[in-house]
Parts: sequence; C-alpha cells; structure tokens
Amino acid sequence: MTRLLYVQGVPIWRNVVALRWAVQIVSAVVVLSTIALFLLNVAREIEARDIPFGFTFLDRAAQIPIGEAVIPYQPSDSYLYGLVVAGLNTVRASVLGVILATAIGILIGVARLSPNWLLSRIALVYIEVFRNIPLIVQLLFWLTIVLTLPKVAEGYVFADTVFINNSGLYLPWFEAQDGFWPWALITAIGLALAVYAFRRLTRRETETGQQSYPLLAAAVIAIGLSLVALLILGPLAIDIPRIEGRFGRLQGGAQLSGSFMALLVGLVVYTSAFIAEIVRAGIQSVGKGQTEAARSVGLSGMLTLRHVTFPQALRVIIPPLISQFLNLTKNSSLAAAIGYPDLVSVANTMTQIAPAISLFMIVMVSYLSMSLLYSLIGNLYNRTIRFKGA
Amino acid sequence: MTARAAPAPLPPATTVGVLGWLRKNLFSSRGSGIVTVLLAVLLGWVVVNLGIWVLVEADWTVIISRAPLYIVGLYPYEGYSRLAICLLLISVLLGMSWRAWPGPARRFAFAFGAVMLFVGVFPHEMAPEHRALLLLNLPFIGLGYVLTPRPAAANPGRLEAIAGGALAPALERIAIFSTPRRMVIAAFVALVLIMILILGIAGVPGLDPVNPADLGGLMINLLLAFFGIVCSLPIGIGLALGRRSNLPILRVACVIFIEVIRGVPLITLLFMSRHILPLTFPEELNIDRVYLAGITITIFSSAYMAENVRGGMAAVQAGQTEAAQALGLRGWQTTLLITLPQGLRNIIPAIVGQFISLFKDTSLVYFIGMLDLVEMGRVSVQGNQEFIDNGREVYLFIALVFWVFCFSMSFISRRIEGALGVGRR
Repeated sequence: MTRLLYVQGVPIWRNVVALRWAVQIVSAVVVLSTIALFLLNVAREIEARDIPFGFTFLDRAAQIPIGEAVIPYQPSDSYLYGLVVAGLNTVRASVLGVILATAIGILIGVARLSPNWLLSRIALVYIEVFRNIPLIVQLLFWLTIVLTLPKVAEGYVFADTVFINNSGLYLPWFEAQDGFWPWALITAIGLALAVYAFRRLTRRETETGQQSYPLLAAAVIAIGLSLVALLILGPLAIDIPRIEGRFGRLQGGAQLSGSFMALLVGLVVYTSAFIAEIVRAGIQSVGKGQTEAARSVGLSGMLTLRHVTFPQALRVIIPPLISQFLNLTKNSSLAAAIGYPDLVSVANTMTQIAPAISLFMIVMVSYLSMSLLYSLIGNLYNRTIRFKGA
Repeated sequence: MTARAAPAPLPPATTVGVLGWLRKNLFSSRGSGIVTVLLAVLLGWVVVNLGIWVLVEADWTVIISRAPLYIVGLYPYEGYSRLAICLLLISVLLGMSWRAWPGPARRFAFAFGAVMLFVGVFPHEMAPEHRALLLLNLPFIGLGYVLTPRPAAANPGRLEAIAGGALAPALERIAIFSTPRRMVIAAFVALVLIMILILGIAGVPGLDPVNPADLGGLMINLLLAFFGIVCSLPIGIGLALGRRSNLPILRVACVIFIEVIRGVPLITLLFMSRHILPLTFPEELNIDRVYLAGITITIFSSAYMAENVRGGMAAVQAGQTEAAQALGLRGWQTTLLITLPQGLRNIIPAIVGQFISLFKDTSLVYFIGMLDLVEMGRVSVQGNQEFIDNGREVYLFIALVFWVFCFSMSFISRRIEGALGVGRR
C-alpha cells in the first residue's frame, strides 16, 4: 500500500511537483470557497430580508428630473437612459476638467522652475495650498462663491454676450446649420492632411537638417482648409444668450450651471496642483548635461525645450499624468455633494424608488470601465515610448 | 587706420548683497522684471483684500460659538475631560519622539504645544478645568522628553548642558523608555487607553459609554484615517504577497480585488458598504455606521497599500533575493526575512503620503451620514438661518484645519525620506 505513495523512490509528500500541486489546489479551494461563502451569504440575506434586487427596473420610466443634460432627457425616459444621461454629465465634467487641469498644471509646473524667484514661489504656494485641502471643501467653497453672485437681472455682462450670475455662466455658442456635415468632413480631411504633412516635414528636418517648419505648415493646412470651407458653406451660426420672457430667464448659447462651474473650478484647481508637481519632477528628471549639450550644439532655448528636454521629460510625466486623469474622473463623483447631476448623484436619487445595490453595481462597473480605458491608453503609450532595441 | 581706444567696460553688475540678489532672482532680464512687477502688484492686491476681509468684514462667530462641534462633533459635554486626557497621552508620545528623533519631531511637539497654549488662553467660553487640562499638555510634553534617554548618536541637548553633570545620573535613571521596544509598547498602551477613554466602558464610573454615532468633527476624521492606515497595512501586505505569489487563483483574486477597489471612487464604496456590509452580519446586530465607515476606509486603503508594498518590494535589488537563496533560505523565508522588511523601509514616505490622502478622503463619510468636520460645517451653514451667509468663513476655516494637518505631515514625510536615506543606501 505504501509502495503506491512512492514515485521513483521518493515519498509523495516530499515530491516537489506533487507538493506544488497540492498547495495550488488547497489555495484555490480556500480562495474560491471564501468568495462563494461571501456571495451566498449576501444573496441569502437579500432574499431573507426582502431587499429589492435585480435589473428589470432599467427599462421602466425613471420619473426623475435631471437638471442638465448633454442629450435631450425627459422624466418619462427609462432608468437606463437616465443613467446614460448622467454618465455623459460625468464624462463632460471629466473631459473639460482633464483638458483645463493639464493646461494649468503645465503652466504652474513650468512657473515653479522659473528663474524668477517671485513667480516660482507663487507657484509653490499654489501647489502646496490646493493639494493639501480636501476636494470636497474646495467644492463647497466654490459653490458658496457662485451662489453669492448677483441674480440674473443684476448679473455681470461682458460685451452683451457673456453672462455671469448665480444661475451660472452663459457663453455664445455655435449652432449647426445645413452645411454642417460636409464642413465637418472637410475639416477632418484637413486634419488628416496636416498630420501627414507634419510627419513628412519633421522627417525631412531630422534627416537633412533643413528648416522645414512642420508645425506651421500643419497648422496652415488644417486651419486654412477648415476656414475656407466655413466661409463657403456657412455651416455654423453663433447663438448668443439673451434675457427673455416675463421671468427674465436667459435663453440660448452654451449654459454652464452654477454647480457645474463650481465642480469644474474645484476639479481643475485641485488636480492642476498635482499635475504641476508631476511636470516639475519630470522636467527636473532630465539631466542637466542634456540641456548643456543641446545649447552647445547651437540649439536655442526654445528649440532645446522642444526637441531635447520635453520629449525626455514626457516619458517620466505621462504615466503619473494618466493616473491623475483617472483620479480627476473618479473625483468628479463628488458632484453629488454640490448638486451637479453626475452618475453617482443621479444614481443616488434613483435609489429612492429603485434597487440600490443593483444601481450602484452599474455605477461601479461604469467607473471601472473608465479606469480600464485610462490604463489601456497608459499601456499603449508605455509600449510606444519603450527604448527601441534595448 | 587708427585704432580707436575701446570704450571703458562698464563695471560688472553687483552679484552680492540685497541688490545683487534682487538683480539675479527678480530682474535678471526685461521680461523677468515685468513679470516681477505684475506679480507683486497682483500679490499685494490679493493680500490687502484678503487681510481686510479676514480682519474686518468676516464674521467669525459661526466658528467661535460652535467650536466644540467642529472639533469633537456631538460628543457629550461630560466626556470632554476624557478627551483632554487623551491629548495629554499624545503629548507624552510627542515628547518621546522629540527626544528620540530631535529634528522634525521637535517642530511637531512645538506646534502642538503652541496650539494647546493658544486654545488654553484664548478668551472664549470654556470651563476652567478644561483650560487647565489643555495647558497641562506643555509639562506633559516635557515629561515624555525626560522619560526617554538621549539617543546615543545625538549631541547633548541644551537641557543637559545647563544641568551639567549633577543631574545626568538622575535623568538617566528616570528615562524608562530606553529601548525601541519599550517605546513601541508605550505607544500601543497609549493608543488602547485613548480608545477606552473615547468610547468608554459600561459600568465603570467616570467612563460612561459614548454612542459611537456621536463621534464627529475633526476627531472622527483623524480616528478614521489613523485606524484606516494601521489596519490596512497588514491587509495590504497580505494582498501584495498574494499578488506576487505563484498560486494562480490566489493571484488573480488579489489582482481583481486591488484593481476593482482602485478603479472606483470611494464614495461608491461607501454607498455599497451602507447596503451590503450589514448583510454580512446577523440582522439583530445593528452595526453602527462609524464601524461601517471604518471597515470601508480600511478596505479602500488596503488596496492602495498593497500597491505601495508591491512597489517597495519590487525596488529591492535582485541580488538580495539571490544572496538569500544562495544561503539556502526557503522561498517564504526569503520573502519574510529579506524582501519584505527592505521593501517596507522603502515605502515609509509613501505610507505618509497615503495617510495624507486618506485623511483628506475621510471628508467623504458624510455620504453614509456621519458628522465629520466638513459635514459639521455644511450643517452649520445650511441648517442655521442665522449663519446662512457665513459659508465662506466656515469653509475657509475647515480648509485651514485640513491644510495645517496635511502640510505638516508632508513636511515630516520629506524629512523621514532624508533621514532614512531612501535612494542612497
């Protein structure tokens, strides 16, 4: 009997392969049974306590007002559509926030390295103040500021087109006319041509050393083509906000509500402080010898920055920058605290009449897919910048 | 051609003294000069306006009249002296750290003492015994200092220099926290005492139990952040080891857990825990939301901690593992005795950084209905007709409180980084 437990003269409890398999199987059983136990437990309790659960509610009418929406929405639309509208609000805040925070963060980060002592100190104070205060406090503060703005009738008006008051910011915006799609097509073709020209001219510049102005050429092609088409086709009209009606409400143009403005300012200020630190660290990570070498072969300050320092700094900057973008997107969920109808806020309202657990599972999956998207972008970038031939 | 004499060269620009400094740092070129002037004007305008607002226009009664609410929430008034005793324990610990690690901890002890002194003598409504307890913190910092021996490497402090040789033996005899182990035990005992003092024990006179739901204000932010970090460290280490292990199912489970938690906002986790966590406990056990918040924050933090630990362990040189293997250590011995300790030393600054962000994140517990510092402020403004216009004062005050804590911690963390020689050794 004991013979069977020996393999090539080694007892099975000393056989490395057998032991490894045993550990694998035992660990698998432990992990899986823990997870199963937890899930079964929760499922049983959901049943026992009669807690609503399930996803059948999604195509019923939501009956919930959503204050602002990118696409048309009525309370009679379904829950699923309502969640999509709310998700688009999140995307709207995140995309605008990412663009503005990156721009301001780069400015502050470069200012931090300025030889001008005062400028660098002010940048330092900006960074240290805003990244050390919880975002929610900043949001509540900005909301307070927005709410103390004057009413529509007494609000600030710039050039009869831009209105700022306690209901938000109103900007002139474009309105699509008949020729919009042909114009969009021509613009897209122009952009493609511009990218082609930029690559072609950059290659010529690096290979032959001739000044070829790739950026200038690309800009002329893209903007020129688009402008010519704009003049011929007339696809866009400009819609200027105006005060209308008995109650003096503002109509037309692009409307950014007060809570949206507070959210955007808060997200941008908070995140740009982190981005500034990333940019500073990235630029400082490029060895001094690189700059000195570039200057000694005759590149000007701007050219050094563009062709030597910045491309190398980008390698260090981009990965943490993407994680900041993800943070900004996740942080936009604090909109729930200041009344901007983002995904979390709307889902939270819906829980009054729909199963809470299912709703928030959907919300979490949405955020997870956004974060997966960001890591995908990050991984693609990491693959493209990997040192070739290493 | 007659050679003309070259014009006499201008004297070189001053590079020393105040003028030289100004020229070098503020007016090095025309552009820089313009920027300096513009910024100076802007800065002056901001400072003057802010100063006028803070000193003249702002109405700080909303803060001063409700100060205890922001600090301890709805904690019963009878228990205030218990909280003050907790502060005394913290003072002793601070004094110990000051002595054992003079540089950064001294500033911390000084700042803490200064705040206690300020609050203790500030002319507002406060019971004399509470005042006395607050002021008692100053001698208690000294007590902690005296009870700890001078670290061998440090030079004699000013106190010893004044006391000369006469006091030295006496000082040495009362220095009871003479080994790191004793200091850790003292800190642990102090923490347990603090928890007992805050929550109370049923049946003990003077220690009436406090309803956990009444904990609030800044106290709950600090408690949640502290226990979140402390409890998440072991879980995070476990998750990191799981992620590095070669058992596929364990590894996949750890990866999924870490990435899911890191991929969603804390606010959604808090919401889920409000609805799902109670299901994992028996129905009759009505678990308080403070504990729900604590568990959620620990789970949230442990996912980030796991990534820190993993990063720290990955930074340990391969030579260390190879040397351990060459000495005949087994896999688990290599991990526990070689890789993990060195990895943990690498991540101490990261842990402080995470503590800061966790402390800021505790401001989200309003979402499960707790009255932390931020929510207290919001209630003060939106729930009181009389303070409805004082939002700016309230939020600026709260921002200042958070800022002071976060900034001083990040300052300390930079010092630790230097002291540990991370990246140099």
